[in-house]
Amino acid sequence: MLLILVSFINSRAQYKKASFQASGLTCSMCSKAIFKALKTLPFAETVQTDLNINEFTVLFRKNSNPDFDLIKTKVEEAGFSIAKFWVWVKVPNLELKPEEHISLFGKNLHLMNIRPQEVEGDMRLQVIDKGYVLKKEFKKYSTFTNMPCYQSGKMSSCCKSIMGPMAASNRIYHVTI
Amino acid sequence: MGQMVIRNICLVLIVQVLYFLPGQAQELYVNTEAASNMPAGSMGLRMNTKFYQMEYNKMYSYRIDPEIMLGISKNLMLHLNAYASDMYQSNLKVEGGSMYAKWRFYSADEVHRHFRMAGFGKMALIDNPTALTVNSTYFTPGPNGEQVPHLSSQTYLSDEIDLDGNNSGIQAGAIATQLLHKLAVSCSASLLKRWNNLDAAAQPGQSTVASNYSISAGWLFLPFDYKNFRQTNINLYCELLGSSALDKNANYLDIAPAIQFIFNSISRFDFSYRSQIAGNMDRLSRHAFLVRFEYNFLNLFKPVK
Repeated sequence: MLLILVSFINSRAQYKKASFQASGLTCSMCSKAIFKALKTLPFAETVQTDLNINEFTVLFRKNSNPDFDLIKTKVEEAGFSIAKFWVWVKVPNLELKPEEHISLFGKNLHLMNIRPQEVEGDMRLQVIDKGYVLKKEFKKYSTFTNMPCYQSGKMSSCCKSIMGPMAASNRIYHVTI
Repeated sequence: MGQMVIRNICLVLIVQVLYFLPGQAQELYVNTEAASNMPAGSMGLRMNTKFYQMEYNKMYSYRIDPEIMLGISKNLMLHLNAYASDMYQSNLKVEGGSMYAKWRFYSADEVHRHFRMAGFGKMALIDNPTALTVNSTYFTPGPNGEQVPHLSSQTYLSDEIDLDGNNSGIQAGAIATQLLHKLAVSCSASLLKRWNNLDAAAQPGQSTVASNYSISAGWLFLPFDYKNFRQTNINLYCELLGSSALDKNANYLDIAPAIQFIFNSISRFDFSYRSQIAGNMDRLSRHAFLVRFEYNFLNLFKPVK
């Protein structure tokens, strides 16, 4: 039991940081409003900004369970939106295939628009769900899959796992590399 | 034909100059509102002071205008203003207040360009006279050589509908703002209806309905390279502000250049000079300075979804 718990906590620590580019900002006060909102995230260790390109980076606390949707909510609540969103994760040796659904460190991921490949170590994933990319980008990615889970972000009958059981949440993040 | 060629060359040159200017666009307009809203869940406090050069004697009157701004949600923001001035009497007098609401209903956002549209409404309740009466005393020599005082009274009417302290009334309109690379251009159009002031009916013949319009352009002048939130921003603006009475032949067009400083990404100082460049409307003032201090409390409350 203890072994399972330790393994679970360690697994959560594998997500290192998230970076995103915000859109709809008009001035440095808008940037500061997002910055202050991100600082309140319980899993945020530090928040960094590149004000020239409106990019924000949230470094995750050790052993925390980062909630990407909460980051998006904070940005949207402040009145802005996300144009691009990346997550950095350290992975064991994995073979990735297009349209595959996997559970990676407590999060369900649907791999889209990738070529079959083998990965190991630090990997950057781009989240391409609704609200994580520009509207026109979302429309573009929608043409790459006919699975309904891309539109809803929720697991549905189209979802199947080839890596054992999926995480308990029915939230599935759609990602590309 | 030759004139058209010269005009086209000038237009191309202007576009080229704007395109290659260093810096970015900026849309925190000083005399108008952009279609974008302030950050949701935030509150801004402003102290606006306007200095009006009065038409009748070319002396300056002033008006102070404290303002509270609230970002209710990402699409809705409110402004509440109070007004006090010495425009109609020699001492400062509280004149009334106004409420302004803006609803952003369309956004097409990208990282460095966006197009937005918003609708807005404003209502003002003001306790001022609807005409400016100036009493003066002049002296004439009497039969025995003494100075005999005479009272003279002159009344000045304005056809301008000004919901920022002069008139009660209501306004409704729309704003479209395009941020494109280094230039942020915003246009607005609105209809205004003058109400009777709280204690004074509109004067006979005074315009009671008007359409207002504006074109604003803004440019972030400094910093060239953004390193942190403490860097002071310097923004430059040029705005055209016009009004046409709809019930008589009266209109004006003002130009209002402005400079703006943003300190610590939290407070702001604006300075603008507004001056009439065309028009035939009877107005109490055609030239005015605006000085504004603003402080923002970001993420102060949970915004309405």
